[in-house]
Amino acid sequence: MTAFETMKKHYQDRSLAALEWKKNGGKVMGYICNNVPEEMIMAAGFLPVRLSGDPWEGTELAEGYRIPYPRVGFVETMINKLLTEKFDYLDYLVVPHSRDEVWRMWTQLHFVPELDPQIRLPEMYFYDNLHTTFYTASVYNRDRALELKAQLEKWSGKKMKDEDLAKAIDITNENRMLLKKVAALRAADPPRISGREALQMIGSSMFMPKEAHNRLLKDFLKDADSLPAKTGVRLFVESSPLDNLQFYEVIESSGAVVVGEDNCWGNRYSDTPIEMTVNPFESIVDRYLKKSPCPRIFPLQKRIDYCVKNTVASNAKATLIHVYEGDNAQAWEAPDQIKALKAAGMPAKRVKNQPYLLSDSDKDELKTEIKEFIEAL
Amino acid sequence: MTDEKKPLQRSQKQLKSATLIKAYQKEWWDRTQERLRMGEPYAICMADDAEDIFTAFDIPVVVIPWWSAMISAKRMSEYYGNVLSAHGYDMDQYTSLGLGVTLDHKPEIAPWGGLPKPLVIMGTTMSDVALHITSVWAREFGCTCFAHEFNYNTPYKPYPHRWWEKIRNDWDQVIEPYKLDYKVQELKDLIRFLEMQTGREFSYAKLTEVMNLVNEQEDLWAKTRDLIAQSSPCAVTLPDQLSMYPAQWHRGTPQGRDIIKAFYEETKERVENGVVACPTEKIRLMWLGVGLWVNTAFFQYFEEKYGVTFVASIYTSIAADGYARTIKNDDPLRALASRFTFLGVQETEWLVHIAKEHHCDGVVGFECGPQKQLWARYLEKQGIPVCELPGNNVDARQWDDGKIRDLMTDFIENRVLPNKKQN
Repeated sequence: MTAFETMKKHYQDRSLAALEWKKNGGKVMGYICNNVPEEMIMAAGFLPVRLSGDPWEGTELAEGYRIPYPRVGFVETMINKLLTEKFDYLDYLVVPHSRDEVWRMWTQLHFVPELDPQIRLPEMYFYDNLHTTFYTASVYNRDRALELKAQLEKWSGKKMKDEDLAKAIDITNENRMLLKKVAALRAADPPRISGREALQMIGSSMFMPKEAHNRLLKDFLKDADSLPAKTGVRLFVESSPLDNLQFYEVIESSGAVVVGEDNCWGNRYSDTPIEMTVNPFESIVDRYLKKSPCPRIFPLQKRIDYCVKNTVASNAKATLIHVYEGDNAQAWEAPDQIKALKAAGMPAKRVKNQPYLLSDSDKDELKTEIKEFIEAL
Repeated sequence: MTDEKKPLQRSQKQLKSATLIKAYQKEWWDRTQERLRMGEPYAICMADDAEDIFTAFDIPVVVIPWWSAMISAKRMSEYYGNVLSAHGYDMDQYTSLGLGVTLDHKPEIAPWGGLPKPLVIMGTTMSDVALHITSVWAREFGCTCFAHEFNYNTPYKPYPHRWWEKIRNDWDQVIEPYKLDYKVQELKDLIRFLEMQTGREFSYAKLTEVMNLVNEQEDLWAKTRDLIAQSSPCAVTLPDQLSMYPAQWHRGTPQGRDIIKAFYEETKERVENGVVACPTEKIRLMWLGVGLWVNTAFFQYFEEKYGVTFVASIYTSIAADGYARTIKNDDPLRALASRFTFLGVQETEWLVHIAKEHHCDGVVGFECGPQKQLWARYLEKQGIPVCELPGNNVDARQWDDGKIRDLMTDFIENRVLPNKKQN
């Protein structure tokens, strides 16, 4: 099996590495979003595994935990997977204060023991952090990271040493560096890696040990020069979190290739390395405070600037903006992103209220829209 | 409880104190509008986000939901919704109606002639989208967006059991100290910002006075709520109770306190004199969700057919249970910070408490989807029947009268009445 095929396998079966890890006596820690420091989880001796939704999962049990707020499919199916124990391989789960739908999970899941005591959930921890990145917020976030560290030490039964953190940083930084090479191959002319391929390569990093993923990436990249060119109109995708391939499959079957994205399952996951400062812990905290912003981060201008900068850097011809149904925060960025992109000479189109699971007619409709957009470029 | 020797009388008139608050609201709107027209610095903020600071500064504050309500009352929601959509902002429009007015740049048709440029818009983290809305709005005005963390709905470790019994006096044991520390620092930053921008100086004594007035007002509200909850039949209709809620917008002022004092005294008088909302009351229900009080025919139908009285809602009880905070260690700012960090309004154990305190036979929720929501399942588990009604408070077209009457009828006949018999 080639390196890419292995990564693809882990992308498709996201519990594969976790089950293997557990078979070897290890413990698995789930986390949500990309603002939980994986390095700390690794330094504590756990395998960090990011939770994702599943468009084909259904939401029957999750619907019994609905609260009167907008819902997004990837979170609701994540809840459903927890309630149907599809994540039963998790020993622990860190729920961060990230987007509204995610932190509300914390509240919703706390009703499970009372309403459905037969359902087993992993032991959970709420990791708080703030919307702003001012100095006062950095101190607050740092204190919460110290608490997370203490919790990880409690769970692991051992103190987290600087050398463990430093080693984890080396591994994750190498992973980011290699994924940036992947990103460069997409932005190259011609692109050598498609958007679908990239999502699988990036995503698989979050479901398996990073050292193993680094080996796969190096293996893949050693033949980078001989990778066939991808054809199609170069598009940048600004989107809601895309934890599956549906949207990119539609785009890339419509005469386009996705050369970059602003998405926490895409390039944004790995574009900010950890810079070593006073000690490993402070370096980690600093990185997670200052990493590329997601839609919950203030100010909005940071998000707009990030979108434009990365669109230009990917040598895209145009930008597609995708917003899931219920993703109000992403929806509210779009008008200003479109304005800024147009001011930068970049055509942009928004496809809004996208269902999490695309039906055949949804796909056909999207294809038509995308083809029309491309033809007009 | 009502004195059984006095015959029950149906309340013929609207609550007198309801006309008081209406009159004061109008006077306040007119006065505030005039102050803005005269160029006084003012602020825009989300509800329960920072108003008390502005009250202490005597800086007029336009609260986003009130402004949206004003726009809706002028029947311009659809117009400004279209303005927002034309600019690409077509989600969460109710919160952003004010932005629509600003984007439209047509003072000749706007309520109040539109709002002038504020001194500051508080960048609320009530939700991720609200933070974006306030950011965009501040940008359109060219004013500062003062982003601040935490809100009354801030994520928390599971709410402490019976938090409402502790929050008034022991808020420092309910809320994490580090959150309070952070919020106090933020409020100090805000105060410094306002001092520098306005040339005014913040007064510790004034803030203490504001907090004391809030505490007085809310303690009076709690007494009123308790009278209503224990009155049987209920002494004050829910629409009348809710009509008093705008007094919350004037908390921290002598006027707000006096209006609720009048509400308390009037309620007490009603209870003592056997004045009731519905003499044929047989079923007491709690209403969850925004009010539909313009659709009085709906409620009258169920009152006449089944003796249904709506007696409780979260609005009236949160005023009673959530707002007052004892000032500790002579630190009014920390007490205020505790309210901005925790109000408990969404909390399910508290919903059960309100329903039981008011001797409710069931709970009716509005603007619900097809499936029983979490809060409904929790209430049912505690033995409280729940009816969830679909609809949309803003869009009257989504009110299916026949369907909703059927749902309510089914709920009363097949859930509430049998449950009452059993108990």
